[in-house]
Amino acid sequence: MDKKDKNSQINLRLVFQELKENPYKKFNIAFSLMVVIPFLVFTYLLAGRFFSFDILIGNIGLILLISFFISVCGFYVGYKILKNILNKIIFYAAQAKRSDQIKSTFVATVSHELKNPLSSVKINLYNIYSGFIGEINKDQKHIIESCQNTIERINRLINDLLDLHKIEAGAVDVKRKLCDIIKISEKQIIELDAALNNKDIVLAKEFQGEVLSVWGDEDKLSRVVNNLLSNAIKFTPDKGKIIFRLYKDEKFIKMEYVDMGPGIPSDKINRLFNKFERLDSEKEGTGLGLAITKDIVEMHRGKIWVESSLGNGSRFIVTLPSDLRVITR
Amino acid sequence: MEKSDKKKILIIEDEKEMLLGLSTLLKHNGYSTVAAYDGTFGINLAHKENPDLIILDLGLPAGGGIFVLKSLSNSVSTNGIPILILTAQQEPDLEERLKQMGAAGYFHKPFDPPALLGCIKNILKDA
Repeated sequence: MDKKDKNSQINLRLVFQELKENPYKKFNIAFSLMVVIPFLVFTYLLAGRFFSFDILIGNIGLILLISFFISVCGFYVGYKILKNILNKIIFYAAQAKRSDQIKSTFVATVSHELKNPLSSVKINLYNIYSGFIGEINKDQKHIIESCQNTIERINRLINDLLDLHKIEAGAVDVKRKLCDIIKISEKQIIELDAALNNKDIVLAKEFQGEVLSVWGDEDKLSRVVNNLLSNAIKFTPDKGKIIFRLYKDEKFIKMEYVDMGPGIPSDKINRLFNKFERLDSEKEGTGLGLAITKDIVEMHRGKIWVESSLGNGSRFIVTLPSDLRVITR
Repeated sequence: MEKSDKKKILIIEDEKEMLLGLSTLLKHNGYSTVAAYDGTFGINLAHKENPDLIILDLGLPAGGGIFVLKSLSNSVSTNGIPILILTAQQEPDLEERLKQMGAAGYFHKPFDPPALLGCIKNILKDA
C-alpha cells in the first residue's frame, strides 16, 4: 500500500470514528428503498395489467428484456456515481480533520520548541545584565536591553500566532457570562496607565452610565479593549489625546477609540485587519493584534471597522450585541 | 555564609543552556544547586540529596516531566519537597492539574527571573 493509500485509510478511519457508524450502510439502504421498491411496484402493476406469457415471445418480449436490462444498468451507474460523490465528500472531510490535527500538533510543538530556547536566552541575558558573570559597562547594558526587548517581541508573536490559530480552528473555549464592559475597560486603562504616562497622552473617557452589560467572554473582551487602546496609544504622538467612548445604541453596545495619529491611507484600510499587516514597520507589533481582535469580536457576533483618512487620525468602532437572544440564536 | 545554611535546589532540566542560566541565577542569589539532565537521574538525585526545593521542567522528553512529578509526589521520602514547574505549554486548566499532581507552583517559559526568585523565596519561607 503506498503512502497516499495509507493516508486515505487513516483519514477514512478518523471520519468513521467521528460518525460512529458506517455511512455507506445507510446510503445503500436509502438508495435501495428509493429505487428498487418503486421499480418493483411499477413492474407489478404493469405485469398485473398486461402480463401474459405470450408477450415474452416475439419482438415485444425482446424489447421488454432490453429495456429491463438498460434500466438495471442505469440504476447501477447512478448508484456508482452517487457513491463516488459520497466517497469524495467523506474523503475531503477526513483530510480536513486530519489536517487540523496535524496543524494543532505542529503549532503546539513549534511553540514548545521556540519558547524553550527563548527562555534560555532570556535567563542568561539577565545573568549577564545583573553582573553575575562580571562587570559590564553602560553600552553593553544597552545592547542587552535591546536583546531583551527583541525576546519579548518574539514571545508576543508566538503567543499571538497560537491564539490566532486556536480562534481560526474553532478550538477556543469561550466562557460566556454577563460582563460589564465599563468595568473591563477601566481595568485595561489601569494596565495601560504607564504607557499613557510615558507619552504624556490624555485619555478622555466618555462612558454612558455606570454599567453596560454584554453577554461574552470577559478575558477575550479584555483583550479587545487592550489591543485597540494599545494601538491608539502607539499611533498617537506625545502629548496627544485619545477619546474612548462606550455607549448603548439600541440593541448594541458601541465602543469607539478615537486617536489623533497620522491616519490610515485609504488603500490600506481594507487590509488593516489582515494577518501580519502593519501600517508602520518601525512601530512595535506583531501585525496580528487587529486580526485577533476582529476574530474575537466576530466570535461575539459583533462588528469592527475603522474610519480614517491621512492626517486626520482614526476612529475604531466596535459593536457588540447586548441582547442575549442575538448571541444564542 | 556556611555551606549548610544555603538552601539546596535540585534542577531537573534537559536543556543545557537553561540549566546553566538557572544554576548561575540561583548560585548568585545565595542558593546551592544540584542538576539533573533527565527524569530518572532527577528522581534518584532527589532521594539522595534531599533538596529544599525542586525546579522541574514539565517538557522533559517522552512525557518525563509528568512522570517525575507524580513519582516524587507519591514517594514518602520526597513528597514533602516543594516542586516548582517550568513549562512552555499553554493548556487550559494546567494550573489546576499541576496542583492536583502535587506542584507548589509553575511558571510559563520564558519567565521573568526576578519573579521566579520571588516565588522561590516565598515557597522556602513557608516550607
